[in-house]
Amino acid sequence: MTGYTSWRLPAYAVFAAAGLVAGLALGRVEPVALAAPFLLVLVAGLAAHEPEVSVGVSYDRDRAIEGDDVTATLELSSVRGVERLEVLVPLPPQLNSEGGVTRAVRLRPGEQRTVELKLRCERWGVFTVGQVLFRARDILGLRSWEGAAGAAHPLRVFPREETLRTLVAPLETQVFAGNQVSRARGEGIEFADLREWQPGDRLRRVNWRATALRRTLWVNEQNPERNTDVVLFLDTFAEVRAEGRSTNDRTVRAAATLARLYLQRKDRVGVVGFGGLLSWLVPASGTRQLYAIVEALLTSEVVHSFALRGVNVLPPRTLPPKALVLAITPLLDNRTAAALLDLRARGYDLIVVEVSPLDIVTPDPGSPLELAHRLWSLSREALRWRYEQVGVPVVTWREDMPLAVPLEEVNAFRHLARPA
Amino acid sequence: MRAPSPTLAFVPSAALGAVLLGEALVLGGRDLAAALFLGGGTYVAAIAVAGGQIDASAPLVAMLLLLCGELSAWSLDERLEIRAESQLARRRGAAVAVLALAGLAVAALVVALSAVPPNHGLAWTLLGAAAAVGAAGTGMWVARR
Repeated sequence: MTGYTSWRLPAYAVFAAAGLVAGLALGRVEPVALAAPFLLVLVAGLAAHEPEVSVGVSYDRDRAIEGDDVTATLELSSVRGVERLEVLVPLPPQLNSEGGVTRAVRLRPGEQRTVELKLRCERWGVFTVGQVLFRARDILGLRSWEGAAGAAHPLRVFPREETLRTLVAPLETQVFAGNQVSRARGEGIEFADLREWQPGDRLRRVNWRATALRRTLWVNEQNPERNTDVVLFLDTFAEVRAEGRSTNDRTVRAAATLARLYLQRKDRVGVVGFGGLLSWLVPASGTRQLYAIVEALLTSEVVHSFALRGVNVLPPRTLPPKALVLAITPLLDNRTAAALLDLRARGYDLIVVEVSPLDIVTPDPGSPLELAHRLWSLSREALRWRYEQVGVPVVTWREDMPLAVPLEEVNAFRHLARPA
Repeated sequence: MRAPSPTLAFVPSAALGAVLLGEALVLGGRDLAAALFLGGGTYVAAIAVAGGQIDASAPLVAMLLLLCGELSAWSLDERLEIRAESQLARRRGAAVAVLALAGLAVAALVVALSAVPPNHGLAWTLLGAAAAVGAAGTGMWVARR
């Protein structure tokens, strides 16, 4: 522990010394009388001893979901007792504690105390907690001893999931079995059409009612259930962040939700973090892939970069043919806009979910910024129009609406204007 | 017509000390020490200029100066946002009170002993030594509580 002395001790010492000297110089007793109480405090301060403090910290879990509470338990003890022991649990800004992160207690000699702190996980991410700073003080605060205890403890806070009932169905399916009814004809459950019998058709596929009507053999055709490849394309070039709200936070929440639901459907899901720091996960299925995606999302941060990037920098396996590319972007960076148009030109089934930053930066009514805000909105509308011209549905996800709303809009768009 | 009291000349420095104290309390600075020095220095200068007999109120002034310093420091400490047990404030308050009373007693003893003529006997010498030991013991007792 490192010991510290309050500024009062040297000040009082100088004051007392000055009083004694003045008393001698003036030959009067009053300055000495003034110095006497301060000498008493000096004695009190110098008599204080260094306490032996033991501080330990433990957490009830190392994984949580946004909005959850994690309990930090501080075990405090002292052999010789501490008049005032102050403990501080340093927290990243994404974690919050009700009633603050500092506590002050008194420890009697040999006493053991337990202090609990409820930590509220305000935002997803990987955080390092565990270190505790403490300060033991004497009763008047004249001397103090500071130290640190506890080992680094990783805490993973997973993003909160949105409620979704339906997903966007890809236009094309892959060859493996899954839950998505394919547009192709083959062995399946869903009835697709009737056709005349051909050599090789199985007898169980004969539609006897149609056969009786037409007096030739007719068979049923079905749509097979196949899986799909979904690529979540996250724009991490730029974000808008204000008052604890951020477009990137919502992007990650949406990606985590979509990844889980698509993987539940036995689809293969991959992730591309397209920004200053390029990252990707090749599409795969299963629980392991879900964990890999969530871990990757937890470290997803916006990294500013001036490098010109296109989709050609991505490994080919990250964007398999016929994949549904779900781009989740605040549409703030031209490089992402160009890359998405490039993807569409390459024939990918592309959907753009625009995480609206307009709600986060709202100018005051009547301020000069209002005009700039309107111009910005118009330029964003022009960009959306460009996407729609090439058959890409662009849906806006506002802060006050659930993710299901823009996805329903995509389904409606596809129903009305099916792209080639 | 009476001449103005010479101690009036020290009113500005006393006022400056009060201003420094207020500034230290409002802004949380270390001008508290300067305020104490100004207060004590002004008092000593005033009694030196006035001359005459021993000022019997000196122990009270000393105690008030000590209280001023301790309470101001406590006030500054409490500005830190720390959720503390209520007993901590009670115990510190009691310690400050004990210290102030002990300081008053010691200062009063100093003033009283100064009135005793020198070479007055062994009893007074022993009493003085006991007072010094008592003062030091009080300080240590307060610190170890």
